[in-house]
Amino acid sequence: MSKVDNCYQCGLCTGFCPKRRVSKYSPRLRINEFLLNKQKEASWECLTCGLCSQHCPQTVDYLSFVRELRAGSVDEEAIAHKSVFTLLCEIMNCYPEAKGVPVDFEGETDENSEIAYFPGCIDFFDCFLDIGVNFHEIGDSSIKLLNKIGIKPKLLSLRCCGHDALWQGHKEIFDELRRYNTEKIERSGVKTLVTSCAECFRTFSKDYELDIEVMHLSQILEKNTDKLNLETKNCKVTYHDPCRLGRHMEVYDAPRNVLQAVKGLTLKEFDETREDSQCCGVSAWVSCNTKAKVLMVEKLDSAIGTGAGVLITTCPKCYAHLNCLKNEKPPIKDFDIDVVDLAIFLSSMDGEAKKGD
Amino acid sequence: MPENGFEPRIVVFACNWCAYAGADLAGVSRIQYPPTTRIIRVMCSSRIDPTFILKAFLHGADGVLVAGCHLGDCHYIEGNYNTEKRMKKTTQALKHLGFETERFRLEWISASEGAKFAKVIAGFTDQIRELGPNPMGKVTEV
Repeated sequence: MSKVDNCYQCGLCTGFCPKRRVSKYSPRLRINEFLLNKQKEASWECLTCGLCSQHCPQTVDYLSFVRELRAGSVDEEAIAHKSVFTLLCEIMNCYPEAKGVPVDFEGETDENSEIAYFPGCIDFFDCFLDIGVNFHEIGDSSIKLLNKIGIKPKLLSLRCCGHDALWQGHKEIFDELRRYNTEKIERSGVKTLVTSCAECFRTFSKDYELDIEVMHLSQILEKNTDKLNLETKNCKVTYHDPCRLGRHMEVYDAPRNVLQAVKGLTLKEFDETREDSQCCGVSAWVSCNTKAKVLMVEKLDSAIGTGAGVLITTCPKCYAHLNCLKNEKPPIKDFDIDVVDLAIFLSSMDGEAKKGD
Repeated sequence: MPENGFEPRIVVFACNWCAYAGADLAGVSRIQYPPTTRIIRVMCSSRIDPTFILKAFLHGADGVLVAGCHLGDCHYIEGNYNTEKRMKKTTQALKHLGFETERFRLEWISASEGAKFAKVIAGFTDQIRELGPNPMGKVTEV
């Protein structure tokens, strides 16, 4: 429940809202319009990052409020890439032979393992996002790292977790994805589901009702850092807390502990970090516009400001959005920092000394 | 005639300058080809977004054909190179979904190739007839 009736219009939410810095979007005003004028129009500019709820003295859950407003009222114009990824979900739902997302990765797997690995929609990102990065590598790297710590996971080809459908207001699509995935997970007999995607992690943990343990890759790696044995040379990295892993699920330490277990690596923090971490700019492909781009530029500028040469993230979406900015043609500017997914970063330094700056 | 009377419904996206002109030539020359297609004219095959293909299948098309100018002959110089890249990726996505990629075709047909246009449609129709109707559950009458 959003408890939006608790709001006493103090405006703290708006003070912290990143979108408010680049537009006139105001969470406080939105709640006001709802409470006074019963204004039920969905709010598409909201990043759903959760910074507002974090500071609300009245424990209003603005995220639930936005989700409830959006449910059932889709705005096609607000969804980037012409909703191609949602269309794929629709196809997965109505095509009886649909296999679910591809799970054809390198590495050792075990059909009978009680620990399953789910990569999310990364192979589809490779089909439709031309931004100079390879998403498939996230899957290969994750399995390689799991193998390194002694786990041969079962590859679960579920359908899309439905995170985007849920936050875009496509309630029916999400419900069907959830129904199918829940059944498939139950039938598989696995006890733990590991995913390398922060959004899948949040969705399976909070928006599904699963009886099994759901873990993010960074969490299972954190439990086994003694088996990782990774080494680099003078590498300075900084870490971006994805909204879905950080504020939504309160997992801040696991990725940091994993990074700090790498010999020769220095972890620099953003000024605004952990609970205060700034959203990468887009969630669920909604409202990817010039305002979002300003937030992305700020994010990369802050990252460069930490003195790091690499920005690590644990969400394929953040990985996509920030690299999309870097890959803009014509370029906005030259961002002197690499944006790399945690799994790819760790697996690339398997034992080798890496030159950082 | 097929036993179950299944007549394929094929959506054709044809570029204005080459493929659509080729289709016109087939018509004017009275070359027969199966009446299974709905032809949609676009100015360039690179107008075709992957979502058009996905939506066509979602709405019940049994087959989708994208027809453009031969590489190097695009009226807009390089449009069809984009088409080629994009359609390859779309085919990859359909393959990931387990969907029969034979239902989706990309062909280069010039304005003078009326006979080729008819032959392509006839061949494609036969292939779709063999594959059967679109297996997706949701069929919307467009």
